[in-house]
Amino acid sequence: VIAIVAVAAVTLGALGLGAFGVRWARTTSDVFVASRAVTPWWNAAAISGEYLSAASFLGIAGLQLKLGSGALWLPLGFTAGYLALLLFVAAPLRRYGSYTIPDFAEARLGTPGMRLLAAAVVLAIGGCYLVPQLKGAGLALGFVTGAPYWVGVACVGLVVTLVVALGGMRGITYVQAYQYWVKTFAICVPACVLLVHLGGLPGRAALFGQELPQAPAGGLVVRLAEPVRVTFPEGTAYRVDGRALRARAGQEVELPAGTLRVPAGVAVPVADGITPRTGEQWSRPVSREGPATPLFVYSLLLATFLGTMGLPHILVRFYTNPDGPAARRTTVRVLGLLGLFYAFPAVYGLLGRTFTPELYVTGATDEVVLRLPEAAWPGLGGELLAALTAAGAFAAFMSTASGLLVSLAGTISHDLWGRVRRPAAPRVRTRTFRVAAVAAMVPPALIALGAREVDISVLVGWAFALAASTFCPLFLLGIWWPGLTARGAAAGMLAGGLAASAGITAGVLTGAGTETLGDAVLAQPAAVSVPLAFATMILVSRADPRRPADVSQHLLALHAPEGLGLAREAQRV
Amino acid sequence: VSTPRARRRAVGSPRQELAEDTAVGGLYLRRLVRAQLGLSLSALVAFGGLFGALPLALFSVPGLQEVDVLGVPLALWLVVPAPFPFFLAIGWLYQRRADALDAAFRELADAP
Repeated sequence: VIAIVAVAAVTLGALGLGAFGVRWARTTSDVFVASRAVTPWWNAAAISGEYLSAASFLGIAGLQLKLGSGALWLPLGFTAGYLALLLFVAAPLRRYGSYTIPDFAEARLGTPGMRLLAAAVVLAIGGCYLVPQLKGAGLALGFVTGAPYWVGVACVGLVVTLVVALGGMRGITYVQAYQYWVKTFAICVPACVLLVHLGGLPGRAALFGQELPQAPAGGLVVRLAEPVRVTFPEGTAYRVDGRALRARAGQEVELPAGTLRVPAGVAVPVADGITPRTGEQWSRPVSREGPATPLFVYSLLLATFLGTMGLPHILVRFYTNPDGPAARRTTVRVLGLLGLFYAFPAVYGLLGRTFTPELYVTGATDEVVLRLPEAAWPGLGGELLAALTAAGAFAAFMSTASGLLVSLAGTISHDLWGRVRRPAAPRVRTRTFRVAAVAAMVPPALIALGAREVDISVLVGWAFALAASTFCPLFLLGIWWPGLTARGAAAGMLAGGLAASAGITAGVLTGAGTETLGDAVLAQPAAVSVPLAFATMILVSRADPRRPADVSQHLLALHAPEGLGLAREAQRV
Repeated sequence: VSTPRARRRAVGSPRQELAEDTAVGGLYLRRLVRAQLGLSLSALVAFGGLFGALPLALFSVPGLQEVDVLGVPLALWLVVPAPFPFFLAIGWLYQRRADALDAAFRELADAP
């Protein structure tokens, strides 16, 4: 009950701020770029709020539990991506002064076709990213309150659509900034309180020593809703619904649905796809074998580092800063805010190994953040903390979904519809944005409703790989290399996008190991497709006989500092 | 760059050259872009050199796992909180230098 209240409070808070946002959304510029008046602190909190999705709030601790401490490289890659953004993209992108990413593509390369191509990629990335957010919301709400799956999907879909349609970019900025602090509070407070309550990390032998995770005193009791295949690392007697059974060490068993009981002190059985690891193996961030070999770690860091730079819903937020220096300040603050948040998920992974070993049996390690507080501190204290993490998870679904919806609605109304029928009056453009926001939510919501039983975590990996192999080279070369031509950019984006998609599809079709970290985020295609996209862009541009016109004007717009009173600055509105 | 415009006079003020997109203005601009890119690349090298060496260091010095700090292996401390302040420091230093380059360019443009 407390959890329902907490989730409702966070949702109503967002709705309230969003309703307030109607007042802020007056002009077209308000709706698309928040009138370019967002200060660095607000924008940094909004960017961090939008970026910290459920993959960060629930997924990192879950992966850590499942695969070991190698998963802790993920938040580092996610954060380091902003350093790349700061060094190469933030200030020039803002100075160029467009409304959307496809705007930039068309203006910089001077062909309307580039706008369409970029818009298509924005829609693909946004859609791929939005569906898992909605699905996660449905599952999480069901877990917390027992509500049917569709309630969570509908709930988040409605709230997000309302807030985006009413408040536009300006309203959503404040909602996302608020949600960043909700999430940070919700991950930090339970972690610290539990550490103090427990007086440190119990069960150290299974964390850092030579032991496997063991059934706690009193035995391990797991309710299995459906049959699962598990492996027993250690020979033992066990019971399912009261029937006494035996397993040899290393035996694979198909457990029927029912209540599983494993005696105290026995190593817990693990679901398919999980390898039993001793604390020593589990806690090594880099190891000789398993999911954290140096090769995988580097490939993962590269993919997240470059992928972040190409996420359209993040990039579009930089247009809301007043000028280039403010965009730099924003990014530096994002580095700090993300670091603050990412200090805590590891605590859940470490405590979860001791207190929620049943997740190894069910394989649902993503639930660790939601389950841990009550498992580690039975009673009211744990219940309160669990309500907090549930509210934080919900804030994570909502903020990421709303950021994606803003970028989708902006692209549909400005780049697609806005090109078909122009010129439109500001009032009409604002209305089109609102209609587009509603329309853009419908297909992902329907897909999410139908995809309950389907594993769609691959979509996030695809979105990241697509971003890294299309927009990342487009921005890096478009900003810093005068020689980029429209044909080169188009060819590179197509080559990179197709290579990334082919890699992901092949990975799914062949079912390439679910064991490795690399597979977990599908890091491999980016390591190949990104260099391919860069090479294609450079080679085709060099061979292109049509040299780009007025390149120096573009360089001026991208790089000249503000306040010089140059002609091009007038366009930086 | 159109030739008649370039031939019109010797060299105007930098701001004029920039605004009129002359050869000299282009030179100023390219110098700025190169300076900014150089700064970004050097920051990237500093970041890549130190942070990029971390996985390899943890791999080749397994002893970091055995050193205990407050009950947690040093290797974990090096991965979870340690790099974040480092990212922030590099970002902050870069931002100051990049703003300084902008300011220098503005001064140049305002020179007679």
